[in-house]
Amino acid sequence: MPATTAAESVPAPLRSPITTCIIAWLVPGAGHFFVGRKGRAAIVFATVAACFGVGLLMNGPFFAPTSGGDLLSRLIQYGGFIGDLANGLFYLLASWLGYGPPQSAGHNADYGSKFLVCAGLLNILAMVDAYEIATRQKE
Amino acid sequence: MQITLDHFDVSILFALFSSVILGLVTKRTDAERLQYGLYCFGCFIVALFGISWFMRLLHG
Repeated sequence: MPATTAAESVPAPLRSPITTCIIAWLVPGAGHFFVGRKGRAAIVFATVAACFGVGLLMNGPFFAPTSGGDLLSRLIQYGGFIGDLANGLFYLLASWLGYGPPQSAGHNADYGSKFLVCAGLLNILAMVDAYEIATRQKE
Repeated sequence: MQITLDHFDVSILFALFSSVILGLVTKRTDAERLQYGLYCFGCFIVALFGISWFMRLLHG
C-alpha cells in the first residue's frame, strides 16, 4: 500500500483564496457568498452596511493620509484611512460621489468617523473568515 | 439627512455591530455563534456601565 505524501493529504481549497479575499473586500459579505455561506454573507453585509450607514448619517468625515504633523497624528490618519478603505465599494462609491461632510464641532461627527472605520475593520474580520473557509480551515 | 446620537446610543450600536461579527467569525456552529455574540454584547454592556461609573467616581 503506497504511503500518502504530505502534499496529497492537504485538500484542495474550496475556492481561490485570493479571489475570495478580493471579493470579500469589495462587497462586504460577498466573500462568504462566494464560498457558499449565504446566511453568513447576508449577516456580514447587513452589519457592515448598517455600521457604515450610521457613520455617513452622523456626517463622519473620512480619514485622509497626511504628510505633515507629528508621528502619532500621521499614524492615526493613515490607520483611519486603511480602516475606511477596508469598506471596499462602500468607501469607493461614497468618495466618488463626492461625500464630504462640512466640518462641525461636537461629538457627533467624531463618532461618525469612528463608525466608518469600525465598519472597515469588521469587514477585515469577515475577509479573514471567508479566506479560512475558502482554504478549508473551517466550515 | 443627519442623525444625532448621544454617547449611550453610540455605545450600544457599536457593541451590537461588533458582537454580531465577533460571534459570526469566531465560532463554528450556529448555536455557538449566537451564544458568543450575546456573551460579547453582555461584556460590552458591563464594560460600558462599569467604566462610566468609574469615570463618574473619578470626576466626583
